[in-house]
Amino acid sequence: MADFPANLNAEQAHHQLLVKGRRGSVELDVSLELTAPWTVIFGPSGSGKSSLLRAACGLVPGVKVEFRRWNAADNKGQGEWLELQGTSRALPTSWRELAYAPQGTAIFSHMTVKKNIEFGWKSRGHKRDRHFVDEAIELFAMQPLLQRRPRELSGGERQGVGLARAFAVPNAKLVLLDEPFSGIGRGMREALLPRMRARLAALGVPALSVTHDVEEAILLGAEVVRLEAGKVIARGPAKAVLADERVAMMRTLIADD
Amino acid sequence: MDIPALTLTLRLAGLTTLCLLLIATPLAIWIARGHGIVRRVVQAIVALPLVLPPTVLGFYLLLGLGPATRIGRELVDLFGHPLAFTFWGLLVGSVIYSLPFAVQPLVVGFSGLDRAVVETASVLGASPWKVFWRIVFPLSRMSFVAAAVLTFAHTVGEFGVVLMIGGDIPGKTRTLSISIFDLVQEMNYKAANATALWLVGLSFVALLLVYGRSAAERRADLG
Repeated sequence: MADFPANLNAEQAHHQLLVKGRRGSVELDVSLELTAPWTVIFGPSGSGKSSLLRAACGLVPGVKVEFRRWNAADNKGQGEWLELQGTSRALPTSWRELAYAPQGTAIFSHMTVKKNIEFGWKSRGHKRDRHFVDEAIELFAMQPLLQRRPRELSGGERQGVGLARAFAVPNAKLVLLDEPFSGIGRGMREALLPRMRARLAALGVPALSVTHDVEEAILLGAEVVRLEAGKVIARGPAKAVLADERVAMMRTLIADD
Repeated sequence: MDIPALTLTLRLAGLTTLCLLLIATPLAIWIARGHGIVRRVVQAIVALPLVLPPTVLGFYLLLGLGPATRIGRELVDLFGHPLAFTFWGLLVGSVIYSLPFAVQPLVVGFSGLDRAVVETASVLGASPWKVFWRIVFPLSRMSFVAAAVLTFAHTVGEFGVVLMIGGDIPGKTRTLSISIFDLVQEMNYKAANATALWLVGLSFVALLLVYGRSAAERRADLG
């Protein structure tokens, strides 16, 4: 990690994730320090990206996982690492204070869109946290869909519901997004991305997302972790890590014109 | 029409259904969750009452609940009398006899659930209890209806087990199916027919309920 920018090194990491072990055909061996407000795991399908997110959630048994969160001290005292999963103990999935939009949305088909979005709040939120739900509805323009049933929605709309459901989780400490824009049109994606980033920045909640889409990674301007066959092969700002892909993308854009 | 036998049968079937849903739900969740050899063994044991002659089951229950075995002796100590030839003995027998009829539909239902949906609910902060009531139960409600109706109907219809461990005590252990047997032995075909028709009707309505509901569900799902 020699090419790590100095200013990022100086920052306090907010999460540490270590995943080691075989998962299907992939041998995962990843040790990540998350420092940036938004980190993107970039890699081809089958590189183990989704497994990393699922491991952080505590959903991958049989693999060695260490997952810590930096707890800044409330008052003047020192902050400390909170162990969410380690060698000795693992916090139950529902206690990890995560927001999660899985691949393929995993929408709750028996609930209306509104009930879907309210799920996190109803599960562990207080009454006063209701504004998280309203703000997520607003952010993803879900107002006209609220009373609809998932089966009446298009693929893109379902994806939107999945994202809104994640963003509506009150007081989440980390937002995990697995291929958040699959099925969402280009224009919509470009409109949503800055709004999502601004929302998380306003809340001070970091995000970890997964994509195989170069354009998305560059658009986010995030810290990119490049994964191949279960291992991190490069890491840094999107423009640097994805320089080759960026040039190739530009070429095709120019060639298209 | 043997009214005490009817009320006894309905009480037995209702209580059996209630007990079995409470027992079968966690058991089915556990069976549906993995693929290990232990689970397959348990699944096979649960299915045993499907293939065993009811008299075999009744015989072992009679022995097991009586003072001939240690469990039986402890039960006798606990209740002050043997469980055999009592309503509660019948209940224990019915619960075991109908176990597969409650467990199998639930295993099928739980196995059909999208794992990602259940997992996502827990990541979003729902405790296992909430995941069950807000996700698992509503998404597999048809399996619960099927399990309840099949258990109820199967208990109403059981004969061998009841005869073995219940004997034939009017008002205590004489169920409708036993009552019919008695009537036939007395050559009272007319009364037997009346009771038997009741059972046919009851079973038919129960099945109609299951199939009717599941058809309505399918229509609703298709929108």
